[in-house]
Formats: sequence, C-alpha cells, structure tokens
Amino acid sequence: MTHARLVCLLLTTVLTVTAAVPGIGAQVRGGTLNLVIESDPPSLDPHKTPSADLTHQLIYGTLVTVDRNTGEFIPSLADSWSLGENGRVITFKLHPGVKFQDGAPLTSQAVQATIERLVNPATAAPGASWIGPIERVETPDELTARLVFKQPYAPIFSSLRIAFLAMLSPAAMAKLGKDYGQNPVGTGPFKFRQWIPGDRIVLDRNPDYAWPPGFYKNRGAPYVDGAVVRIIPDESTRVIAFERGDLDVLPATPAREASRLMRSGKYQVFRTPIDGGLYLGLNVTKPILSDVRVRQALGWAVNRDEVVNYALEKLAVPMDSPLAPTIWGYAQGLKNAYHYDPERARRLLAEAGWKPGSDGILQKDGRPFTFTVWTYPLETNVRVAIVLQTQLKKVGIRMNIEQIETATLLARTPKGEHDAILIRYGWPDADILYYFFHSSRMASTNRVHFSNPEVDRLLDEGRVTVDPEKRRQTYRQLQEILLQQAPWIPLASPYTITLAHPWVHDLYVDKYGNLLTNDLYIRK
Amino acid sequence: MQRYIAQRLLQLAPVLLSVSILVFLMIHLVPGDPVQVMLQDYGSSEQAATLRHALGLDRPLVVQYGSFVWRVLHADLGRSIRTGRPVASEIGLRLPYTLRLTAASMAVAIALGLALGTVAAMRHRGLLDYAAMVAALAGISLPSFWFGLVLILIFSYHLRWFPPAGADSAASLILPAITLGASAASIIARLSRSSLLEVLRHEFIRTARAKGLGELRILYRHGLRNALIPVLSIVGLQFAGLLGGAVIIESVFGWPGLGRLAVDAIFNRDIPTIQGIVLVAAAIFVAVNLCVDLLYALVDPRIRFQ
Repeated sequence: MTHARLVCLLLTTVLTVTAAVPGIGAQVRGGTLNLVIESDPPSLDPHKTPSADLTHQLIYGTLVTVDRNTGEFIPSLADSWSLGENGRVITFKLHPGVKFQDGAPLTSQAVQATIERLVNPATAAPGASWIGPIERVETPDELTARLVFKQPYAPIFSSLRIAFLAMLSPAAMAKLGKDYGQNPVGTGPFKFRQWIPGDRIVLDRNPDYAWPPGFYKNRGAPYVDGAVVRIIPDESTRVIAFERGDLDVLPATPAREASRLMRSGKYQVFRTPIDGGLYLGLNVTKPILSDVRVRQALGWAVNRDEVVNYALEKLAVPMDSPLAPTIWGYAQGLKNAYHYDPERARRLLAEAGWKPGSDGILQKDGRPFTFTVWTYPLETNVRVAIVLQTQLKKVGIRMNIEQIETATLLARTPKGEHDAILIRYGWPDADILYYFFHSSRMASTNRVHFSNPEVDRLLDEGRVTVDPEKRRQTYRQLQEILLQQAPWIPLASPYTITLAHPWVHDLYVDKYGNLLTNDLYIRK
Repeated sequence: MQRYIAQRLLQLAPVLLSVSILVFLMIHLVPGDPVQVMLQDYGSSEQAATLRHALGLDRPLVVQYGSFVWRVLHADLGRSIRTGRPVASEIGLRLPYTLRLTAASMAVAIALGLALGTVAAMRHRGLLDYAAMVAALAGISLPSFWFGLVLILIFSYHLRWFPPAGADSAASLILPAITLGASAASIIARLSRSSLLEVLRHEFIRTARAKGLGELRILYRHGLRNALIPVLSIVGLQFAGLLGGAVIIESVFGWPGLGRLAVDAIFNRDIPTIQGIVLVAAAIFVAVNLCVDLLYALVDPRIRFQ
C-alpha cells in the first residue's frame, strides 16, 4: 500500500466514523426554553419558600447534587468533601472560579453567610430545619468551608442537594435584604431577568456558567438563550398550551391527561417514580382503629394492584413499605409486608370481635364499623379513596370520604379530630419517617398519633448513624415494626410524567423528576 | 348633586369598616394557620413560635385587628405573609389586569346583551326571539370554567387564533373577556328584552309611530332610552359579579389578576393580603354603584337631583 493510499483510507475512515456518531457538534445555540409551573412561587429567595421549584433549580446552585444515572451524591459547587469526628464535621472543598450572577466569587465566607442566614430565627426560613443540628460554619481558607454539627446528622446530603440550601451571594444579601426574592442572585445556569406575578418568570442564559455537575457533556453555559417559566394554574389549559407548542416541556403532566398524551406517540416521555407515595394513615387513638389487628386487617384488605391500575391509570408502582422504593433506606423483601388477602383480613377482624351485621357491615357491641378518611380535593386522591372504599366494603367496613382543603387539614389533624387521612408525601431520605412517627412530632406531622418507644429510639438512631450500612439496618428494622404496627397502610408511589416536544434534544429528567437542562438544545 | 356624591362617599367608610371586620373574623373562624402552611409543619415548634411572633399572629385578635385598622388609616396595607412583599404593591401589580379583564367583559356583556335583547324584543315571539333567549339561557347555565375551556379548545387549539393563557398581548384578553362576559350578557339580554317590550307598549311609542317616525329612530330615541334604566342598575350589580367570577376565569386562562391573588391568599391563610383585596374590592363595588346612580340621572331626566 502506498503512502497516499494509506492516508486516503485513514481519512475516509475518520469521516465515516464522524458521520455515524449523531449529535456530536450538532447542538444548536439559541432559542428559548418554554416551561410551566402551576402557581407563583411565594418567593425566589430559597430561604423564603416552603417548596423549592423548577425556577429555583435554574437560578441557583448547591454544594452537592445527585448523579443523573446512579442517583448517588456527587460534587456540584463543592469539588469534594470529607467527614470528620464520626460525621459531626463535614469539610467541603469549593470548586474554584465559581461566580455568582452579580460577579462575586463563591467563597467559604459565602457558604457561611448563606447558612447563617438560613438558620437565623429572624429570617424565619421555612426550610431551616433541613440543615439539622448545625452548630457553626468555619472558613479555614477561601475555598474550604467546614460545617460543624452539634451531633452527626445523617440526612444532611439529601438536604444539601435541594434548593433550600442553595448558595446565596453575600453582597446581594446585604444589598437586597428582604427583597432578595424579587432579584434573586445565584450561581446557576440561568440569570433572573423579570417576574410578572401570576404570569411568567423570565430568565436569561448565564454566559459565565462553567461549573455544571460532572454528568453533563456541555461544560459551559446553556445552549438556549433563556428560559420562560409560565404560570398556568389550570391543568387543562397547561396541557393545551403544551399541545399547541407554546410550551416545550410539560413537567408534572396531570394524571388524567398523561395516558392520552403518552399514547399519541408525539412526545418524548420521561417517567420518574416520585420519592414518596400515597398512604392511608390511621389515627391510632380512635377506638375503632386502636386495635392493631384491625389496622393489620386493613393492610390485607387493600388491593394495591387495583389502586394502581384503576385509580392511578397504571402510572404508579404499588408500595409495600412506608418508604417508597426510590427513597434512600427503603428495604426490599420485608417479612411484614402486606399483599391482598381479604380472607386474612376477615379473620383478623373476627378475632378483634367484629361480627357481620345484617347489612353486610361489621358490628361490635351494636356499633357498625364505619370510619371517615380525609383527603385533599385532588382528583387522584379522590379516585384512590373511591377504590379503597369498594375494597373495604368487601370485608364489611364502611369508609366515608371527606375532601378537606390543605390548610384546614394541616390545622385539624394534629388535634386528632380525624379517623384517617389519605395523602401523599415525598422526600429522598428515610429520615422522613421521623416526622411522621416520632412521638415528639405528635402536635404536628405525626398525624396518626402513633407513639412507640422502640420506634422513637430507632428514629433517633437513624439520624445520627453515619455508617450507611448500619443506618440501612436501622431503617429496615423500623420498616418492619411500622408494618407490623400498621399506623400507615402504604398504597402506591405515582410516577411523575414529564413530556417534551421532539424538537427538544438532550433533555434529562433525574430520578426526582428535576429537569436537567445543560445539554439541552432546541432544533425545530 | 355634589352633596349627594359627598354623602355617598361618606357612607363608604362604615361599609369598608364592617366588611373588613367581617372578613377578619371569618378568616379566623376557618381552621388553618398561615405559619403552618408556610412551614408545611416540618419546622420545629420553636421555629413556628418565632415566626408567629415575628408576624404578630400571637397577639389577641382585637389587637391584631386594631393595628390593621391603624395601618390602613396610614395608607399601609401591611406585608403579605406568604411572599413578604407589601400588600399594596401586590395588589397594585394585579389590579390593572383584573380591571382590564372586567372592563372588557363588561363591554362584551353590554354589547352582546343589548343586541340580543333588542333583536328579541323587535322580533317578539319570532324565531330570532327564541334563538336569542336560548342563547341567553345557555350563557347563564353553562359553568364558566367549562365554557372557557371549550373556547380555548376551539379558538386556541384548533383555530390557533388566540393564545390559551397569559396576558402578554391584546389577543390574550379576548377569550377570557367573552367567557366572563357571557353570563352577564345573558342577564342583560333577558332584562333589556322584557324592559323594551314593556316600553314599546306605552302610549308615547304609539304617538311616535303615528307621527310617522322610523322604527329605528323610535327604538333608539324612545324605546331603548327608557328601557335602559332597569338594565343600568343590573349592570352595576353585574360588575361586582364579574369581579367575583374573575377568580375562576383567571385560573383557567392563567390571567394574572386579583382573583388569583385572592385564591392563593385564602389557601395560604395570608390574612393581610385577603384583607387588602377585600377592602379594594369593596371600594370598587361601592364606587361603581355610585357611578351607576349618577348615570341614571344622565339617561333619565326625570331622576335629576335637586
């Protein structure tokens, strides 16, 4: 083979290979990403909002994030971290060169100022408790920030990745004070431009952005020029706006429209199980539900497959533990897990002294087995409640459904006025069980009014155990006890359905349903 | 006349005061606590107590109400619990949208209602009369959120004439204005029809006809002018109804008005914002009714004030 022919062959090979790899160099710069949320965030200041949404994720950055493939915690604004004093101290090495959108550099002082503002009672930050028992933040040098806790706090990394704990610019904090939320400054891929309350939030590409988490191919600023987050409260209107092409992406597609849109085959579909689920919570202080055999009977009487197939249109997975499979600490193959066994339910109810009455409803001491479940007036919840109603009827239990608005439910359940609740929760760490079952939370989130010394002990232990394997064991034991005691009947963990038009390329949705936009480009 | 206006304006004060007391008591009678909603009660009880104290929610109701009135007298509506922004500026941002929407739907209601009513009266017991009254019946009985979605489906999704949501162009005003104006148009149509039929039976109409005036001229100069009095008073009331109806329509069309602010405020038990909106709405309501009363005099010289 002559020299020239060899060169020729090599050249052809290179050209062929390049042509065969789609996408490389094909990204298009420009365009606007049109997104939607259902209501105005109370504030764009993460310390002033009870729920961090899509917009916060685009504007802000956190020290830690999760890998989009494995779900593990990986560096974001911090390059690395190390644990000391049995997990009581976490030392973060910050990524050098990170700048806030107002030009200020991200330093350890900024980390300190952010966290001090978060926990300052004067800030009254709804998310303040997620940082745990923090004592102080030390700043040994510009790029080293050390978080010192009063005692180890194992769920800290789950907290650090959410926008509540995003880094804020100290200069902007000083300058804007209470008005930070109207002119938010973060380190994220998009800069704030304008907020028309009730209508839209307009963001520009942050041209300086060069610190995306490691899983992104695009190491620089986003390909799109900006993003518009529209605010449309009505589900049907949101869907029509998406189908019309006014929106590029439809996050959290309403359940009743999701099947139809997915079947149409016109859109990219991202299906992510939420890190939580729907459960039937039983107020254990109510005489009718205080017998553990009765609560277990309810566990056996519920057919979760029916709940998933009929009430949730198959867009969910059945839950066999209070923890959804996506939550860190979920244990598989629990021996106390329930499955559908109406015979066993009937047996347990008979053991507890309930006898069939004339109308098919169980009776005891002349009283029928009737209880009322409270739920939010959300279509999905109500549909699930109706399916449960039918299932419980089959074992002789009459369940009434009452729809109660959020603030009322939040206010009345701590007083124990209810028999049962059917609601949904979400959180990425097993520590969430602390809020629902610790006896110290009786006046607020422990809505089932459950108190058990062994459960309290394990919940406390789970918070301070830093060794992941030991911690997993603690939560496995907890899940077994909670299933056996049955203050909750776990039902199903719904999927979040995100849809995108075909002209949106390289969008990723992480396992929490968050949109990952840095590789995204639009080519119509 | 001026004395009359002054009197009416003076009456505004007790109206606003009693409305504000009523709303204040009502929102406190409903279970639910803004701090709990804010924290989604994951916060500790100390945190909730600090926040409650910072917001002044731990003081006796009388004190809370008193300080609200004191602030209002100093032209300060307080700060929203939910967003931390001054209530006055929150309302200031939303009010123009609601007024624009209400005005547009009022225009739709009057134009459509009068046209239908007049046609129906002119063609009494004819096909057009029945058609117009069936349309009016539909306008009253169809739920507005459903009607709004149907309009979006036809004119936004299929025909692509108007955007389905938002408030960024004149085109985005049309569908919500029609939806909101439809029921008011129906009422105005029915009322103007019967009022016009009544007037057309009068002697002076017969006299006018006998003088050889054209039908259109009779209708305009003698018929409508007299038939408008009862219609006008209902228009005033309808305006208030539109302000209320805007709550649902604004949600369907993603319209950033006062109605949506009110809904958010109520769900979050954002007391200062609710109070502010109610005060503003009540003031508008009273002002509109005053305008209607003054208009009477313009339309009908018999009701001139001494």
